[in-house]
Amino acid sequence: MAENTERLRRTMMFVPGNNPAMVKDAGIYGADSIMFDLEDAVSLSEKDAARTLIYEALTTVDYGDAELVVRINGLDTPYYENDIKAMVKAKVDVIRLPKTESADMIHTLENLVVAAEKQFGIEVGTIHLMAAIESAKGVLNAPEIAAASERMIGVALSAEDYTTDMKTHRYPDGAELEFARNMVLHAARAAGIAAFDTVFTNMDDPDGFYRETEHIHQLGFDGKSLVNPRQIEMVNKVYEPTQKEIATAKNVITAIAAAKAKGSGVIAMNGQMVDRPVVLRAQRVMRLAKASHLLDEEGNYIEK
Amino acid sequence: MPSVVTLNLQDNQTFQDWQAFLTSLGITNFQTNELTTIDLTLGIYDEAAKLVATGSIAGNVLKYIGVCNKYTEKGTYFNTIVSELMNQLAQQGVFHYFVFTKPEYAQSFEHVGFHQLAGTEFGALLETGDTNVTTYVQSIPKIPHQSQKTVAGIVMNANPFTLGHRYLVATAAKANDLVYVFVVNNDVSLFSTAERLKLVQEGTKDLPNVQVVNGADYMVSYATFPAYFLPTPDAAIKYQTTLDARIFKHQIAPGLNIRKRYLGSEPLSRTTNIYNQTLTKELPPEIQVVVIPRLTGSAHQVITATQVRQAILAGQLAAIETSVPPTTFTFIKSNFKILQQRIQKGMNIDGN
Amino acid sequence: MEIKQTALAGTLESSDIQIMLSKGTDGIKINLDSEVKKQFGAEINAVITSVLQKFEITNANVKAVDKGALDCVIKARTIAAVQRALGTTDKPAWEVL
Repeated sequence: MAENTERLRRTMMFVPGNNPAMVKDAGIYGADSIMFDLEDAVSLSEKDAARTLIYEALTTVDYGDAELVVRINGLDTPYYENDIKAMVKAKVDVIRLPKTESADMIHTLENLVVAAEKQFGIEVGTIHLMAAIESAKGVLNAPEIAAASERMIGVALSAEDYTTDMKTHRYPDGAELEFARNMVLHAARAAGIAAFDTVFTNMDDPDGFYRETEHIHQLGFDGKSLVNPRQIEMVNKVYEPTQKEIATAKNVITAIAAAKAKGSGVIAMNGQMVDRPVVLRAQRVMRLAKASHLLDEEGNYIEK
Repeated sequence: MPSVVTLNLQDNQTFQDWQAFLTSLGITNFQTNELTTIDLTLGIYDEAAKLVATGSIAGNVLKYIGVCNKYTEKGTYFNTIVSELMNQLAQQGVFHYFVFTKPEYAQSFEHVGFHQLAGTEFGALLETGDTNVTTYVQSIPKIPHQSQKTVAGIVMNANPFTLGHRYLVATAAKANDLVYVFVVNNDVSLFSTAERLKLVQEGTKDLPNVQVVNGADYMVSYATFPAYFLPTPDAAIKYQTTLDARIFKHQIAPGLNIRKRYLGSEPLSRTTNIYNQTLTKELPPEIQVVVIPRLTGSAHQVITATQVRQAILAGQLAAIETSVPPTTFTFIKSNFKILQQRIQKGMNIDGN
Repeated sequence: MEIKQTALAGTLESSDIQIMLSKGTDGIKINLDSEVKKQFGAEINAVITSVLQKFEITNANVKAVDKGALDCVIKARTIAAVQRALGTTDKPAWEVL
């Protein structure tokens, strides 16, 4: 598992790889991750042009703190190897492999990434990977996929292809995705990496979008893939911690600081020992609170 | 963001939506001979599945461009459609594009790199691409001190080159220092462009001041002047011939110092007759129009290429021999079967 | 390098630039259409020229229609046009990127 697993990944915004206007502006909406798409969003005749465009954008445009992800074309396409080379040379944060069905596919990808890192004089291990799971086979193999490489930072469920593979389609209640969501999520958690939920494409149904986002938030997903920047604020709102959660988290943080000051390895609060999961949750709540602009510079809660 | 899709105009519902959309924008010419030339139609639908932009390709001509700008920043859909049409043509190796459009839209095309060749109150013709009329004129052979010489131009399809054509060229050659014979460039004639060019060259070889040139996309092009090849109402013929005349007058003639245009009198073809009338109206005073009466054959009949083609179909080699130069006759004789097969396969021989 | 065939890359959409690259005989000739030609025309031409030079193309006609492209977009579209014109889209020129 890659080292920066603890960064926030609430929102992964899809950006069509051959659209300069959208590529240029992708950083201004505040997405935690930006996913430039060289695959489905680019027609066959424009694969070369999109790859070059994304390379140039990655190496020149300032996208702030956003994690930069590129969805390359699949293993079975003639664009796969050149996509990998170009994105490694551009030092993208994460390469996302579509239609992942086995750990072997990740190993194949990793070998090519290593070769490209060496070719372009980049420290081996720099480029991270993630897998999109889009089939029954991929879902069943999610645990081995998630654990396939130290470079893996996440797995994402892609529901359009998956529901087709399952001989169904998407329904408003999402019952058809329940097993896949749980598999992908468990695979991610067991491997210690992030889990991303699928896109929600109907922009005219904000209620449905909130319902789905609240559901995957409840399940434990890190966040959601998005097709429209307008959805970013909506997801962030669902992921906002409550005032009470923040207060508890602050107490835990204070206790950690107190233990540190005393030079004690034991963190105690209200006479109880605070164990590691509680510390991790508190740290996550504080990160979310900061990202949601719920804290001022001194760390005080801001009433909205 | 709405994406560009291919419209299947064979589908009745799609066609009706498309036609209604264009009609609402004031585009109303849906004649069969315009529609049959369409190779590809693209469209953009909005989120409510309503058609908001469309454009078509016919050969290297962009046609039926219609855009509703009500809900977008001006020009967004227009630029998307035009550039997608260009990309589609580029994939087929076509990099020289024309567009017929209403005068009020000419500027929109100029904003995306097109250059206007000619305009009338009914429409404008623009082009863009890796060649253009300037490079075309530059590529035509010239003689020393051409600007001080008397130079004439003749445009002909020469399908095939007959004694009538030969008489017209020879008459012009006698009266001028240099005569350009522009051979119409199209793939819809019985004789291919290469064959027609060759027959004109061979049939005028003895006339040293005649220069035979491919008319490319600028003279009676199938793309820009379909009425020359397909049955068309008079109004459309007038509009198309006016554009053709103005291109010749303003884009072709000045760079070659052409001051005279020779025409054969036209007793038989309605389209060519209108074409001649338009040229007589449009070209002077800068270019003098010289009409040469048609040469009559042995039976006091005017010689036309149409009759030669009909004789090929009928298998009457003897009738052909008296109407064409020996060079043309030799070619027809040795390719008699092939030519007849072309006609049997559906090549139209009744047009020009 | 010699240009084999005319090539087109990019679009006429906002923030993009459409580049048509064809054979030339007389150095690099750029015909630029841009609403910001007065302010940025020289810069746009310089970006295009520098890409062509990296590919060692000395004779070419370029027809460029700019719709407000950033330098990185101009560079990317010129590279795409060159590789298409050379027939080498499946062998990206890593040293030029």
